[in-house]
Amino acid sequence: MTELLRVSHTMTLSWRYGTSWYFAEFIRALRDERRLLGLRCPVCRRVYLPPRVVCGNCYAELSEWVEVKDSGTVRAFTIVHIPIVDPTSGQPRPTPYGMALIQLDGADTTLNHYLAENNPAKLRIGMRVQAVWREERRGTLSDIVHFAAMNNQTMNDEQ
Amino acid sequence: MKRVAVIGTGQTKHTKARDDVSQTELVREATTRALADAGITIHEVDAIVLSNMELFEGRALPEMWVGEGAGGYRKPVTKIATGGTSGTSACIAGYHQCASGLFDIVLVVGWEKHSEGATQTGMALTDPLWDRNVASGAVGNFALSISQYVAERGVTPQQAAKIAVKARRNAARNPNAHLQMDGITVEKVLESRMLADPVHLLDMCPQSDGACAVIYAAEDRAKKLCPRPAWVRAAVTRHDQPYIGDLDRRLVTMRTLRDAAREAYQRVGISEPLKEIDVAEIYEPVSYAELAWYEALGFCAEGEAGRLIDDGVTEMNGELPVNPSGGVLSTNPVGASGVIRVAEAAAQVMGRAGDHQVADVRLALATGYGVYAWSDVMILSAG
Repeated sequence: MTELLRVSHTMTLSWRYGTSWYFAEFIRALRDERRLLGLRCPVCRRVYLPPRVVCGNCYAELSEWVEVKDSGTVRAFTIVHIPIVDPTSGQPRPTPYGMALIQLDGADTTLNHYLAENNPAKLRIGMRVQAVWREERRGTLSDIVHFAAMNNQTMNDEQ
Repeated sequence: MKRVAVIGTGQTKHTKARDDVSQTELVREATTRALADAGITIHEVDAIVLSNMELFEGRALPEMWVGEGAGGYRKPVTKIATGGTSGTSACIAGYHQCASGLFDIVLVVGWEKHSEGATQTGMALTDPLWDRNVASGAVGNFALSISQYVAERGVTPQQAAKIAVKARRNAARNPNAHLQMDGITVEKVLESRMLADPVHLLDMCPQSDGACAVIYAAEDRAKKLCPRPAWVRAAVTRHDQPYIGDLDRRLVTMRTLRDAAREAYQRVGISEPLKEIDVAEIYEPVSYAELAWYEALGFCAEGEAGRLIDDGVTEMNGELPVNPSGGVLSTNPVGASGVIRVAEAAAQVMGRAGDHQVADVRLALATGYGVYAWSDVMILSAG
């Protein structure tokens, strides 16, 4: 029998994604003013991050911008131990690292982001966290390095 | 609308790498087996529906490259894509084509060759403006949802591990399954490498190469061609919002699966699913998800899923065997995984499931799962 072979192929690809007015405004506020903007549904009043044209539940058009704080409450967390490709670098992210779904103050959705803490014993659902920002901002979620437990509040859950 | 039944199924041997076949050959293997099982030739097939996640292999237009493997020349060929649900959605689309009365015999084929590609890269190509900033992968995303489910329902790592053990032991009786681990134990699952708390390596599905085909026939043809066809009684799909943070407590609420199951049960007239359904083939990408699906599918009350596996209710000899095939935890060629659920449920009804056949199956359930954004539910019956 002929020996089976594998043919390898590596490509570098690039894309240019349009932001629409929604993401353009979100990026501008984030980059220039270090503000996080959400959109409120006129029907159910739910505040959405990321910004988008429509509330999926109501199919209502969103237009009311709402400022969301850079502090929030951990709704879910994990410690990742396997080297997952970091989409911003294309390289595996060093492990272990903490991740959480964080409900930012003023938002009804949660944000998927990194935690400063990677010891599961020190993490709890309901704990309060604060964004740690980079010096220079580009208008992406990577402008936030990670979220850290708020001072003196680690044992003081949301009321 | 015509009554429709599955009259044949075919699978490849699923494994880590099928270097001996191309994607086209893989699809041909499953297709020829399904045709033989149905006792028909490709010339009797009126339409073909395909399922594959091409970003995993990095090959555009798979429906063109692979169509000839499914016998698609000069026939209506379409491809369905709904994430992990693609296979069950293709089965639902094929059912719709047949039930419409426009086609008498419809072939559905799903396949994936994960060994050829960069599955993680494919998963990372999500929304460029939002999701691509954070590296979490499928495992990280599951682990986040699982932390909420565990906190609210109190299920233990041991109960999740029992699901993983059940799947791999069942798979040992399924010659097509990828991971066949007769000697697996709860301890071995808990000692396996931690991927993302609380998910161990053996809690997670593998990445497989494989293909699966299902053949439908409309009522008159089904009765002529098959002594005990698996009649489609319900086929329901539900979609939900896109971003990971959109859905509150995703694994706990799992509203797509809850809604799809409720509608499917209503159509069939099922009020007590645990008692009335004889076997279930559900799409469980991680052990904890199967526990959550028990609740969403109404097999037990909220918070009772751990007890269900502790009591062995869903084991092969239990009241409702779940995933006699070994499930997605044992075999996961993503584009085929949903088709495998339907094929296995149908084979159970048809009495053709071999060593993992459950006795006296009249009513079988199959589900699909697609990134929380989709759930599919199909119910098949002997009558």
